Amino acid sequence: MQGKSMETKKRTLRDFTSKPEFSSLLILLVMFALTAILQKNFFEIKSIMRNINAFAPLILVTMGQAVVIISGGIDLSSGTALSLLTCVLTSIMKKNDPITGLYGIIVAFIVALLIGLINGFGIGYLRIPPVISTFATSFIWLGIALFLRPTPGGESVSWFGVFYNFDTLKDISGFFGTLSGFLPPSLLLIIIGCILWYVISKTKTGRYIYAVGGNSESAYESGINTAKTQMVACMINSIFIFLAALFFVGQTGSGDARMGDPLTLRSIAAAVVGGIALSGGRGNVYFALVGALILSFVNKIIFFANIPYAYQTLVGGAIVIVAIAGSQAYISYSTKTKEIKIG
Amino acid sequence: MKAQAHVSTALDSSFFSKYKKLIVAALLIIFLFVLGEIIVSDFLSVGQILLTIKLSSFIALFGLCQMIVIAAGGSGLDLSVGYTATVTAVLTAKLMDGKNENIWIAILVALALGFIIGVLNGFFVSYIKLPPLVVTLAMSQMIQGAINVYTAGKNITGKPSPILQLIAAKTTGFVPNIIFLLILLTIIVMLILNKTRIGILLYGVGANPTAAHLSGVDIKRVRFLSYVVSGILASFIGLLLLGNMGIAFKDMGSNYVMPSIAAAVVGGVSLAGGDGNYLGVVLGAIFLQTLTNLLVALGWGDAGKWTGFGIVLFLLLIVYVSNRRKR
Amino acid sequence: MNILEAKNIKKNFGGVAALSGASLTCREGRITGLLGANGSGKSTLSKIIAGVYAPDDGEITYLGKKIHYKNPHEAKQQGIGMVYQNLSLVPELTVWQNIVLGDERNAGYFLDDKNARERTTDIVHKLLPTLDIEKKVFELTPSEMQVVEIAKAVSRKPKLLILDEPTAALEKVQVTSLFNMMKELASSGVAIIFTSHRLWEVVEICHDLTIFRNGRNVGSMDFDKDEKDVKKIIFYITGSQSETSIAKTCAETCGETRLSIKNLSLGTILRNISFDLKKGEILGVGGLAGQGQQELMLALAGNFPKIGCDARIDGKPIKLTKPSKAIRNGIVLVPGDRETEGLFSKHSVFSNLIFSKIGVDKKIFIIPHRKLKKECEQIVDILALKAASLDAPVSTLSGGNQQKVVIGKWLGLEIKVLLLSDPAKGIDIGAKADLYSYIVNQVRSTGMSVVLYASDTKELIEYCDRLLIMYEGSIVATLGTEEITEENIIRASMHVEKE
Repeated sequence: MQGKSMETKKRTLRDFTSKPEFSSLLILLVMFALTAILQKNFFEIKSIMRNINAFAPLILVTMGQAVVIISGGIDLSSGTALSLLTCVLTSIMKKNDPITGLYGIIVAFIVALLIGLINGFGIGYLRIPPVISTFATSFIWLGIALFLRPTPGGESVSWFGVFYNFDTLKDISGFFGTLSGFLPPSLLLIIIGCILWYVISKTKTGRYIYAVGGNSESAYESGINTAKTQMVACMINSIFIFLAALFFVGQTGSGDARMGDPLTLRSIAAAVVGGIALSGGRGNVYFALVGALILSFVNKIIFFANIPYAYQTLVGGAIVIVAIAGSQAYISYSTKTKEIKIG
Repeated sequence: MKAQAHVSTALDSSFFSKYKKLIVAALLIIFLFVLGEIIVSDFLSVGQILLTIKLSSFIALFGLCQMIVIAAGGSGLDLSVGYTATVTAVLTAKLMDGKNENIWIAILVALALGFIIGVLNGFFVSYIKLPPLVVTLAMSQMIQGAINVYTAGKNITGKPSPILQLIAAKTTGFVPNIIFLLILLTIIVMLILNKTRIGILLYGVGANPTAAHLSGVDIKRVRFLSYVVSGILASFIGLLLLGNMGIAFKDMGSNYVMPSIAAAVVGGVSLAGGDGNYLGVVLGAIFLQTLTNLLVALGWGDAGKWTGFGIVLFLLLIVYVSNRRKR
Repeated sequence: MNILEAKNIKKNFGGVAALSGASLTCREGRITGLLGANGSGKSTLSKIIAGVYAPDDGEITYLGKKIHYKNPHEAKQQGIGMVYQNLSLVPELTVWQNIVLGDERNAGYFLDDKNARERTTDIVHKLLPTLDIEKKVFELTPSEMQVVEIAKAVSRKPKLLILDEPTAALEKVQVTSLFNMMKELASSGVAIIFTSHRLWEVVEICHDLTIFRNGRNVGSMDFDKDEKDVKKIIFYITGSQSETSIAKTCAETCGETRLSIKNLSLGTILRNISFDLKKGEILGVGGLAGQGQQELMLALAGNFPKIGCDARIDGKPIKLTKPSKAIRNGIVLVPGDRETEGLFSKHSVFSNLIFSKIGVDKKIFIIPHRKLKKECEQIVDILALKAASLDAPVSTLSGGNQQKVVIGKWLGLEIKVLLLSDPAKGIDIGAKADLYSYIVNQVRSTGMSVVLYASDTKELIEYCDRLLIMYEGSIVATLGTEEITEENIIRASMHVEKE
């Protein structure tokens, strides 16, 4: 009996090392070490908090993106959706009226759900190829965002800073003041996201997202409502984007119709680096988080390696292509032996 | 529309179905002009129409790139055309320095740039089998980065050769020269795609890759080459854009990318590949420009333009894609 | 008690009758075998019962009620489970997740994975105890996948279970455990419909037998009363008429070897295939459907880059790794599925007809429209192709004329070997005769060679000079001109001699 459980353990370990997730963990460790060497005060609480804050938006957007990709879609509108949500928040809030912050959150949440609903309707029910359908909607979000905020700006209630730093609340209680010394709210947002996905992954919806992305015909045959499943995936995505928007407005106190643009591509790349297969159905949402961390650390390293800022977009684009190509090649290599292709 | 197709005779329906999307695009343009005339006065005039065509010409030019990669199938799209054009303009502006004798260098540089970018795009899309949208989006980001590096901390200098300005910015009588260029290009493209081996292979590979493969055609190579051609074309459009604007700047091409795709879809290019009539793309471009004019006249500016384009594209996707599923 | 009674079922596909009055009765706790040659309608009937197709006529009574299911899902909910030949699993999910897919149960708000694992283990344990239910399906072998597929159907506790060729992908041991499970299910009252191309399996496991020919019942046996007489069963399947082949002229005209294939292999789909094709010969490839015939045709046309094969044409060694290589050596394919493999449906007849020529010939740049138009008009004449004009889209043509276009695209080139993969599928009788008479003419007059696969045995009997019978990826028999009779073909196809 014991021998058998040992055997299973060995097997699971071997299985694990052969997965893309394992290689992404290794890469993360290397990146972590490199950054730790390059950044002198890397292990100080303050710089850890600063790093978490810098990484949070990409992590959140990537986790949402991962859900959509697993369900067999892709979201090219996540960046502009994020921008739109920041514009919505800052248009509703009035600086001197604290209660408007709450209104802002409610309205932005509804808008986020609508965004997911429309994207999901296009992908799931209308069966428009996700790439082009979300490409089209991205411009709708951009346009509306520009209506609300032709130029970056807008108002934000002062307590909204709580999504960036608990310092904002230190007048209420000294507790928050101490909290602000070591706990960045962005970490809480990420944890909320993780819990959200954990709960969903334990329900039918979570299972069906994998089934539909893996083989939508079989899923349909098994009686699963594939269109609804894809729509729900898009709505989960937009909740993650909503969390990122809260953080952004908390940090900057303003909305910007174009700030989210670069995140679209980076989130796709991060998800792929984290082992999410673009073909759908395969991958782990938590490892998308690892992918986002890897990309973020790479940016840090570029920064500390004294590469001029101008090079960063160039290197960023190159990394995206190399990462996606590498992961894709890895996946096709590891599954190649299994199938004989016809045609 | 469906009922109409049913009652018409066989000959009519084949004619109608072949040009259906073109007719729809033309009707949409007329509708917008009439609507504009009603809402805003002075919308419908020869001058206004010529201006609209002139403004739409760059959308139509970039639309050619899109049509070629879309027609080759495999859900092809090229998002890197905007920055390909920009990088060409930025580099050649300095090389030309406003002199006609330097134009050959500029043409060579444009050719090389377009070729390299196209080869990279085509390689990753066709041979590594990555999604075209992701590859070309990443490529465009890389080029943007390269432009940033090149221009870091200094102004972009230089001017286009006068001959480029003559083609792209000047008018003959009251007709902008670029309209002549567009007409010429339309004829050439139609000839190449309908009368040469290139067109047959391109549409065949897009319409049914399996059948094309079994007929002995190297489909990967055809798709690869479609991106190379798109890159080179985009690069030359960069020269024209420079001639049109007179100076080069960092984002000069990027705003044309989305409209160029929308123009292709409005013009009836099936996103599944295998067809596409360039005249339709030109009509699509004119439609989008008319829409923009109307929205600007209403004072809705940029915001209205992007929302409008997004909604138009989304609605047409619904119409055309769901059409495809019913058959 | 009768679980299911299907009476006088009729079904047409595009004017071709697949079932013309078929009946079937399944009794509680009994395994009913369905037997019949290709196209006899057994598969169609199974799919009608499972709700995949709707019958044109006739009535089905299930558990005493008349039923009309709109889709397979509805049938499934009522306890009719079907195991399909083409697998319907989600590769990225684990074995147990696949087995409960669509039938998950909750414990509170969340999925009850413990229960799911237990349910899975129970069933899988009986079929294949060594199968690790935590493995993802894409890691499994094809036979293990088939086991999962069966387990999935069984886990829904069907009252009627339809097993359509479940053993094709299974290994011997797994077949034994499947049979044990079937017996167990039967003894618990489930009615089972079983089809298999392995005759001895059907005889071994079934309680009742229903035999189809040409879409109707020709015999039935109850093994409680009747003897398990293989000869009698084969007699039912082939029918009494002993149709012999039409006199062939190949003996006089057939020349030296044109194409020689040695040791052609492709994974487990094609195994060690060798044959010689003479000049002016029509070589048939027959056997039960899905034994690798279509893959063989594709392989000969150069569709599989990784093919292992020693091929010679007119004595010259060639490689079959790319379609263009095959085409340049005069080997051309008329593929089985013209819609997806042969035609550009939205494009005109003209562009379809010239595509291959233009595709292979790199010297052409500007298309000589006038010259090609003339050539195409000739082709249209030769083939008696009926189209409104050369510019009409191919999709507007009838099935038979579409197939002529697929053949016509090769006529501009020099053809040494014409590969025909089920060319008459879905076209009407007149067009069929037309097509074959044209091909036979060409063969006799030009010395072109043909490899013909047809799912309809009659076509093979009528037109082939020699016939290869395939069974599970290998050639198991070669029938000479005189030996090509329906009985011989079916006997060889069923591979009765083995075991």
